[in-house]
Amino acid sequence: MNHQTVAGSGTRRRLLLTGKHLLLLGLSALMLFPLVLTVSTALKSSHDVKVNPFGLFSSFSTENLVEAWTVGDFGSYVVNSFLLSVPSTLLVVVLSTMAGYAFARLPFPGRGLLFYLVVLGLLVPFFTYMIPLYFQLRSMGMLDSLIGINLVLASTGLSFGTFFMRAFFSDLPVEVEQAARIDGASEWQIFQKIMLPLVTSGMGALGVFTFLQNWNNFLVPLLYVPSGEYRPLTTGLYLFLGGRSIDIGPLAAGTLITILPVVVLFVALHRQVTQGFLSGAVKG
Amino acid sequence: VITGSADKTTDMAPGREVTTRRRRPWRAVEADTPRVTRGAQARLGVFMTVPLVAMVTVFLLLPLTSAVYYTFVDFNGFDPSPPWIGVSNFTELARDADAWAAFENNVVWIVVGTSAPIVFGLGLALLVWNVRRGSVLYRVAFFLPFVLPQVAVGVVWGWIYEPSRGWLNRFLEAVGLSSLARGWLGDPDVALYAVLGTAVWATVGFVFVVFLSALRNVDMNLVDAARLDGANAFQRLYHIVLPQIMPVFLMVTTLTLLGGFSVFDIVFVMTGGGPAGATEVLGTYAYSSAFQLNRISYGTALALVITVISVPFAVWMNRLQRRLSLQGTGA
Repeated sequence: MNHQTVAGSGTRRRLLLTGKHLLLLGLSALMLFPLVLTVSTALKSSHDVKVNPFGLFSSFSTENLVEAWTVGDFGSYVVNSFLLSVPSTLLVVVLSTMAGYAFARLPFPGRGLLFYLVVLGLLVPFFTYMIPLYFQLRSMGMLDSLIGINLVLASTGLSFGTFFMRAFFSDLPVEVEQAARIDGASEWQIFQKIMLPLVTSGMGALGVFTFLQNWNNFLVPLLYVPSGEYRPLTTGLYLFLGGRSIDIGPLAAGTLITILPVVVLFVALHRQVTQGFLSGAVKG
Repeated sequence: VITGSADKTTDMAPGREVTTRRRRPWRAVEADTPRVTRGAQARLGVFMTVPLVAMVTVFLLLPLTSAVYYTFVDFNGFDPSPPWIGVSNFTELARDADAWAAFENNVVWIVVGTSAPIVFGLGLALLVWNVRRGSVLYRVAFFLPFVLPQVAVGVVWGWIYEPSRGWLNRFLEAVGLSSLARGWLGDPDVALYAVLGTAVWATVGFVFVVFLSALRNVDMNLVDAARLDGANAFQRLYHIVLPQIMPVFLMVTTLTLLGGFSVFDIVFVMTGGGPAGATEVLGTYAYSSAFQLNRISYGTALALVITVISVPFAVWMNRLQRRLSLQGTGA
């Protein structure tokens, strides 16, 4: 804000600000360069990819995209990514909202102890138990199963989600709850009719954040979808990289297909996404 | 019993009301609620947490318990009653030069991967701090790499690091530094730092956004007062701004530091731990031990050791941060 006190420095200040913007624009371009490179290489003609794979926008063709989508199987990877990300995200949002409300506003026996369980989920990284979980899922018949992978993905996000939603419910004023109780609302009605509508923005932010996390998840499908029946984009791209790393064109197209939903979602809802990451940082 | 007075003290400090968020408002009413309500609340509380508890028990507690058990047996993946071998997994680990090399790489990762994003992120945040117009654009541009799947990030940076046609070497040649050009991911001396560079690129935006939101809460009156007292830009930063964003600073440090312990995706995709183990970290080493060499118990022991090292850091930093944030609100 206006904390500039030196008199007569208006033009100097404006010049400084312009310089700052130029510097920031340059840095932004540098940060976004890998994305530009991806788009450029993905949209090249196959001949151009062979001679000049990384020259920026030197030709235009959709043949790489077509090849990645059909021959590279990215079409079915996209479907699988949605099959793995959407149900697990819904599960995280619903269960976290319920548990977050209980931890924030309902005194119940064992609350303190159970909360330690949630904290444990935040502290223990996934790969600590990823190896035994593989054999556990195998004996449960849940490897390569949509239900199994969705449950695992959901469980990795539940602790954070509960923390996140608990913070939202804790911030609501007590008076709202008391007034509803005096009016004769049951505890469930207070939750569902009074409190829930007040945290929908939080649920939305958690949903977007969790969806991105699940979409980007690499280890879970790498380990628990060994047959590849439900292989999502992340492990699909990895497989494609290993098998045909010389085919830079289709590989770039596959990369573009993998990141495009993330980029669109983030640019459209960057506030919610950033909020998710920030809260994860501040309140976790 | 004493709950009524607790509520009053917050009401009696009108100046605080705006700045201090009331923590745990339900505490004040809990003891006042009638028995019937408390019974209903307890029932609903149990009902609402049962699914969470079930999920956490099956997909966290159970495998975590097995993880501890696995480390004391020699499990080959099929034997239902594997032979008990005591602590020999851990004694082998202590003598395993490859594990120590991986651990060293994690230490490098933690030091560089924590300090570089903090320096760059703080610098960027200070630059954008009093920019009003267009700051959304910068936030989106800098943060975007952080939300991308690391597999995709690894693929694209592999091209940038490509020996003959990659942009990094072409840039070095253009500015007359072609002696520095090399196959970045194939050279054991620099491969770890090349992968780290990619990770730093992906993390800077996150650190930047966190610092920016913290800076926007800094009391500008203090900064202005210091300026009038003749403090230069560095002094204002060090003595006025940094103390105010200290909790956030520690929080960011914790997060990036913990990320350094559990790094996996980006290394796995870009180099797979190579060349010749130059970029092997504990995460990739645990993975390849368990799933490629079929040494399941040994891999689990490795993963468990990483956790045991990292969890105290998380707890300690979290406490420190909480204490500081309490000081910050004046509570």
